[in-house]
Amino acid sequence: MLLVLSEEHKEHLSFLPQVDAAVVGEFGRIALEFLRRGTSPKIYEGAARKLGVSVEMVQHGVEGLMFLMTESSKHMISEVDFLDSVLVLGFSEELNQILLQLYLQHHAHIRSILSQLPSNQPAYHNLEWRLDVQLASRAVRQQVVPMLTLRLLLSGVGDGVCARRGKVLQTDPSTLLHLISTLEGALAAMKSSHARRIFRNIK
Amino acid sequence: MELCGPRSPRSGRAEAGGADRAEAGSHCSTTFILEAVKLNADKSTITSCLEELTFSAERIDIFYEAHQKHKKELERLLASIGRCPPHINDVSWRLQYHVKNNQVDKVNEPFYCIALNTENEGSPEDINFTCTVEQLQDLVGKLKDAAKCVEKASQM
Repeated sequence: MLLVLSEEHKEHLSFLPQVDAAVVGEFGRIALEFLRRGTSPKIYEGAARKLGVSVEMVQHGVEGLMFLMTESSKHMISEVDFLDSVLVLGFSEELNQILLQLYLQHHAHIRSILSQLPSNQPAYHNLEWRLDVQLASRAVRQQVVPMLTLRLLLSGVGDGVCARRGKVLQTDPSTLLHLISTLEGALAAMKSSHARRIFRNIK
Repeated sequence: MELCGPRSPRSGRAEAGGADRAEAGSHCSTTFILEAVKLNADKSTITSCLEELTFSAERIDIFYEAHQKHKKELERLLASIGRCPPHINDVSWRLQYHVKNNQVDKVNEPFYCIALNTENEGSPEDINFTCTVEQLQDLVGKLKDAAKCVEKASQM
């Protein structure tokens, strides 16, 4: 699959051949750092000063590089397709190789960053449990009530990917057995011939 | 076991009018019954308390029979009073195949959407989350450990 680069994108990237290979490598590093941490205008200003060009040109160059990397990682483009896609930019062979190396080194990491983006649904992280026996309460003395206290840890709830929220829940032994049998049924559904046919055919 | 305390029907409101006395009487009887259930009072304790209140033997028997008949239900009612964490009643699940999204192409991964149907102080509340196949296996494994622990404890 070939990437189709817009005219605006090509224009932004046209800045790259005007600088050294080392600078392109540095821009690549900055672009990846921005993917991880977000942009910082100070770095653009520093680079623009050193290279003697406008801040806008540096910013477009770095952003163009970022977009090239994320689009390539998103579609899992092969080496050949990547080289063919950047061919249209008319860069030197050396520059093309630098861009390819950048892509190959970091595409797995970029993909994992991208896959963390759409998690607006809470995801399972861990489950802690405890068996308690309630012996008395304010309203009743002399009880013997076994109960399971669970702490369900979920991630990705609103405040960011790394936020963990623990929910304290309770259940009784008979419900616990029901939960286990229902969820084992869920796992068995993965192994059904219908599911396997879908997994095999949608690639 | 102090069942017959200052709430004895003989104290305090004996001078009040007929309707008031009936109301007071019924409040006191209710309190007595609930206290007896709460403390799991045995027959001798109830009998001695009612004898102090000059109940005849026949009345004591009637009272005790009614008490035994409804004790379990009252225990259940009293046990439902109080705060506790949300209680899980049921679980629903969906198996889905993640093909792609607008950030990443070619994901091609199955995943589960689990909904824990819980009840929090009377009102139903659903806890939804997603998990991969491995995570669901981990979750089921932990629940099975808990079930084994319950079984061992029940055999002690």
